[in-house]
Amino acid sequence: MISLVGFSSLCLSTFFSFLILVPKSIINLNVKYFFIFFRFSTFLICISFFSLMTAYITSDFSNYNVFQNSHSDKPLIYKISGTWGNHEGSILLWLFMISIYGFVYSFLSKSLVDYKINVLKIQNGIFLIFALFIIFTSNPFLVNAVEVSEGLGLNPILQDPALAIHPPMLYLGYVGFSLVFSLGIASLLKNNEDQNWIKETKKWSIVSWTFLTAGIALGSYWAYYELGWGGWWFWDPVENISLMPWIVGLALVHSLIMIRGEQAIERWIVFLSILCFSLSILGTFLVRSGILTSVHSFASDASRGLFILLIFFLTTGFGFLIFLIKSPTKKNNLHLLLINKTSALIINNILMIIAMLTILLGTVYPIIIEVLTNTRVSVGGPYFNSTVLPILLPGFLLMSIAPILSWQSNKIEKFRTYVMTFLILSLLVSLYSYFTDFNIWGFLGLILGSWIILASILSIILRYKFLISFSYIKLINSFVAHIGVGIMIIGITFSSVYQKEYNFNISSGDQINVNDNFLKLENIQILEEKNYQSLKATFSLTKKKELVDYIFPAKNFYPVSKMITTEAGIYHDWLKDIYIILGNEKDGRWSIKVYLNPLVSLIWIGVFIMIFSGFIAIFKK
Amino acid sequence: MMKFQYFFKIIFCFVFLFFSSYVLSNENLNYKIKKLTLELRCMTCQNQSVYDSDSEFAKDIKIIVEEKFNEGRNEKEIKLFLTERYGEYILFKPYFNIKNLLLWLFPFILLVFSLGFFYKNLKKNLSK
Repeated sequence: MISLVGFSSLCLSTFFSFLILVPKSIINLNVKYFFIFFRFSTFLICISFFSLMTAYITSDFSNYNVFQNSHSDKPLIYKISGTWGNHEGSILLWLFMISIYGFVYSFLSKSLVDYKINVLKIQNGIFLIFALFIIFTSNPFLVNAVEVSEGLGLNPILQDPALAIHPPMLYLGYVGFSLVFSLGIASLLKNNEDQNWIKETKKWSIVSWTFLTAGIALGSYWAYYELGWGGWWFWDPVENISLMPWIVGLALVHSLIMIRGEQAIERWIVFLSILCFSLSILGTFLVRSGILTSVHSFASDASRGLFILLIFFLTTGFGFLIFLIKSPTKKNNLHLLLINKTSALIINNILMIIAMLTILLGTVYPIIIEVLTNTRVSVGGPYFNSTVLPILLPGFLLMSIAPILSWQSNKIEKFRTYVMTFLILSLLVSLYSYFTDFNIWGFLGLILGSWIILASILSIILRYKFLISFSYIKLINSFVAHIGVGIMIIGITFSSVYQKEYNFNISSGDQINVNDNFLKLENIQILEEKNYQSLKATFSLTKKKELVDYIFPAKNFYPVSKMITTEAGIYHDWLKDIYIILGNEKDGRWSIKVYLNPLVSLIWIGVFIMIFSGFIAIFKK
Repeated sequence: MMKFQYFFKIIFCFVFLFFSSYVLSNENLNYKIKKLTLELRCMTCQNQSVYDSDSEFAKDIKIIVEEKFNEGRNEKEIKLFLTERYGEYILFKPYFNIKNLLLWLFPFILLVFSLGFFYKNLKKNLSK
């Protein structure tokens, strides 16, 4: 019953979105009805999405999708997140968000009505394409042919709080770029002199970028404690794919700043807007078609993969075609000097695009090689570390001096103070590196990170008078974001370069020493949880003969899907993480892997600051 | 501006002094094994390196690598041995050879070109 409601409202919503795209010569909709129809279509897709969610919450196994991906034993939160824990549901979420973005835009935008209608029409076109994709290839409302009383269950690795909200966050980011795309294309179509679209593009690209950042951060936090590999970023194809629109979105946000000092570089902005959304769809295609892990699994799901590929070519082709035909002809006189803010921003844009292209090449390279020569190669972390990082390095260097550059001239403001503090700091970092394990990457990361933080703090102090007000926060916002990046760089450097790793084989009651932290294996027990069995070890952590905390690494067995997941046990404080993974048992002794990850907390703090300042930037005029 | 450059030069001299004396110091066996196994794919896992993995396959490879190092083989020879046995798929960092030229040079060619393009525009702008 609920499936029927969901499916019919999906179809009706598609019908309405089709209706408002019909040319004026056939049906002449006036503006008022255009908006009513558009919003009604959003309303219908809401009903459709929430009816699928209801089917999941009530465990309605007459729905085939629910039967495939849910189980009545699951806690409520995973029943809800099960809605987007599968292909069909997640594409419905995607569709739902496309519509929501258009809906919110239709209320908030202060642009001329003509322009607004164009934006919404393009947004609606994207909506229509994805709606057809759902109806024809990935319908989540199929009815189960046989009557069943129990479902097959959700992949246990997805049953985790961070991963429950990870997809909506990520999708809010990806899909947000669809609105940025629409804004860009509509501005080309109108050739309008009105500069309002730039403001709107800025606002919405920051919104999407912030959500994307949050989504990626949640995903990598999940990888950190759930995969049990000791790290949080693995240059996995799926991670790379989310990073590409993120980088381009970052370049977009930064080139939108150039408007403040210079004449707008409109062509570049529109180009980036189109590119962002294209990369989002490309990412969806590569993940959803299964082409990434192996070229062969593509064949098993050919219709879906091909359909998304078609969508990709349609939207990208349409976007870039309009871009070529109607590209803004205004001559842009960029005020380039060696070195002022404009040229620093342009170099940064160039570096980000090259980094993105490198990631793209590295990610699809195995596919190209397999198709061409029928041999399998892998391109993994070591490749990206030795190409992407050196390319981004000058960018970080520029970032550390960016605040002291001026728009107009190549004079450096208040440069004596900066140089002196930079020098003192560099000396300190050098001394520190010299007396610990010296490592060139560690040294570079530390020095860049601390330069960025210091330069930003100095600029705040020297430039703005301190006030306790919201407008002060808005003023210093971009510096705050950069401080976040600096903190993150230091966190990344420490946790990857100075990570320590220990392997032990111990039995119950044994005590081990990890860098003066004493870990004692108290016991190992089997616990019965709601929908899984848990093998849980209890470690007590003592330092200087005082009990600090207990750490619980575990392995969970999910009987429904017959899968075992590892749960890393993490003791967390501001300076370090003690990260324990429970291995296998042999002759009563357990193999234990312990990582000492210094300053991991800085990564999450840095990301949090970036998200925070993205959030503030939304309210900035 | 001149002063500024001068300071940076000093800093970079320091950097190079430091790392030239340290770059040769990490020559012990464990370090060599770690460095190599980090670049090998555990073929039975999903996108995990041999070093990080606990699977049977990874354990075997670690033993092989250690044996080969003890026999006096160097990193290059061991990689060659492993790729003959398991194919290039086992390398996370593909060989730098003619076939993979595109993969390795593309980013840097792009970098050179775009910076050249930037420099051209910069000069044009300065001469105005």
